Amino acid sequence: MLAYLIRRILQSILVLFIVIVITFTLPYFQPGGILAPAYIALGTHISHQALMTWAAQNGMNHPYLVRLWEYMVQLIGHGNLGYSYRNNQSVWSIIALFIPRTIWLALSSFILTLLIAIPLGMYQARRRNTLFDYTATGVAFFLYAMPAFLLCLLMIQFFSFGISHLPSVAPTGVAPWAMFTDPVPFILPVACLTLLSVAGLSRFMRGSVLEVLVQDYIRTARAKGASSRRLLFKHAFRNALGPIITLLGLSLPALFGGALIIEEVFNYQGLGYETVVAAQSFDIPTVIGITLLISVFTLVGNLLADIGLGIVNPRIRIEQK
Amino acid sequence: MSNTLTTTIHAEAIVPMWKQRLRIFMSNKLAVTSAIFLIVITALCFLVPLLHPTNQTDANLAMMNSPFNAPPSWSHWLGTDSNGFDVLGRIFYGGEYSLTLGILAGFITIVVGTTYGMVAGFIGGWVDATMMRFLDAMLSIPYIFFLIALTTVFSRTTAFLILVIGLTGWWGNARIIRGDALYIRKLEYSQAAGAMGAGKWHIIRRHVFPNSISNIVTVATFSVADAILFLSALGFLGLGIQPPQTDWGTMLQNGAELIPNGYWWEVYPLALVFILVVVAINYMGDALRDAFEVRLLER
Repeated sequence: MLAYLIRRILQSILVLFIVIVITFTLPYFQPGGILAPAYIALGTHISHQALMTWAAQNGMNHPYLVRLWEYMVQLIGHGNLGYSYRNNQSVWSIIALFIPRTIWLALSSFILTLLIAIPLGMYQARRRNTLFDYTATGVAFFLYAMPAFLLCLLMIQFFSFGISHLPSVAPTGVAPWAMFTDPVPFILPVACLTLLSVAGLSRFMRGSVLEVLVQDYIRTARAKGASSRRLLFKHAFRNALGPIITLLGLSLPALFGGALIIEEVFNYQGLGYETVVAAQSFDIPTVIGITLLISVFTLVGNLLADIGLGIVNPRIRIEQK
Repeated sequence: MSNTLTTTIHAEAIVPMWKQRLRIFMSNKLAVTSAIFLIVITALCFLVPLLHPTNQTDANLAMMNSPFNAPPSWSHWLGTDSNGFDVLGRIFYGGEYSLTLGILAGFITIVVGTTYGMVAGFIGGWVDATMMRFLDAMLSIPYIFFLIALTTVFSRTTAFLILVIGLTGWWGNARIIRGDALYIRKLEYSQAAGAMGAGKWHIIRRHVFPNSISNIVTVATFSVADAILFLSALGFLGLGIQPPQTDWGTMLQNGAELIPNGYWWEVYPLALVFILVVVAINYMGDALRDAFEVRLLER
């Protein structure tokens, strides 16, 4: 297990390095090249002199590899993600401002998703091809086919202006723990994000459990007289959990992506909201800093998923020795 | 007696595979309905803008001819939108873009993804390891953030949108196809072909590719649905197709903002069409997977 763990960590570091190189290189391709943001920060009619001063201030007058090296040193040595062109503050300070809110949103809907999707998928697999199964599958397909923003807007229409008056806008500028002191405005955003993830995960869980239920060892257990409850929870659940854990690790980017759309619709000022604002004003260091940070979350998530997989499935521990 | 028996068994065994597959697909009523629905909608999207009496691109003309936000009537079956465009005509006009982009981008993702996955899975070794680490990196970048970064960096023309979604949507596909290629490469018939002196390229072309076609077709179907969805998300963020052209995502966004005003005809009909199209594509993907599932074929 330890050797496996070390190999996976080294692999993740390598992948992180590739991510950094890609996100760092991206701005070189914009029209106007790496100096394009100067025209946004200083106006289109700046003199060549001012342009060069700006380039020197932002360390952009060096060749690509030197800049990459400096970026890496700053990033890894000092945890510095660079400076926003727009706000004249470090990207970190922007992230620190918005990240707790996104984490709360993503985490609460992640937990809710697990609590709903896993039992739902198992129940569907057990009662497969019944009316309940068909209905749940139909709803999941429907949700899966609906653009996230449309779901949010319909939910707002229904729950804010229709049968109830839930707030359609998340409170701005409040502490992240407002979710506990004043939970009402958070109901709709969290519900939307949860619905979006439940659709995919419950379908996957259903398929995963079904696949286990046709295995020979399930038939053997049944022949030995195991109750169908014991079969489902002891055998099917444990074995179906493997693919689910991997999927959960891989679904983190989609979770944050969904959160981005939801933050945008509900005016919920989190990382996604800030990304869109930064993108609209061509503030590339911020966009890239946030993208990089979420990639790191994903990598850590995948790593945790693999460790979890090793705990759930003994075969992996032994094989990798 | 025994002679006739063998012949019957033999005759049954040679039902061509594609016929069996077609039969399985056709036995799925939902999938057949979906296929017919998709063909009809696609035909309408490309034909109606040519025949429909109202103008769909020139905002000035539309403004002169019709009122804004008019409810459905005989002259405008689904009313008009905030620019005076006829909503029904606009749905088909937007569909032309959404479907074209979805299909082209989906096609690019599947071609690139298949090639990448096949090469990685078949060559193996450090080439595979390097190619997979690159995929890991791309998969760990949240896709919508990456799209936003790309649309910030590059311009937002239609061709660019096709390329961006097409060239960035294949990471997942490549993984699936690579898994297939790895598996098939180890199977006896590939090994046998190799032992008989077939080159790697020959084995990929004649053995690995035909045997993983089921996954390729299924993945391709879902890719088109995903491309349409991602395009609509970009439309919502205002990073999609730029006016006066339009696509379903942009239209849904514009219409949804007007729901509180009571202009339901600008959202609900289109939302229904959009969801049905994506659901139909997904149902077809499911049915295709069943049709290509070798274990379900006659045995």
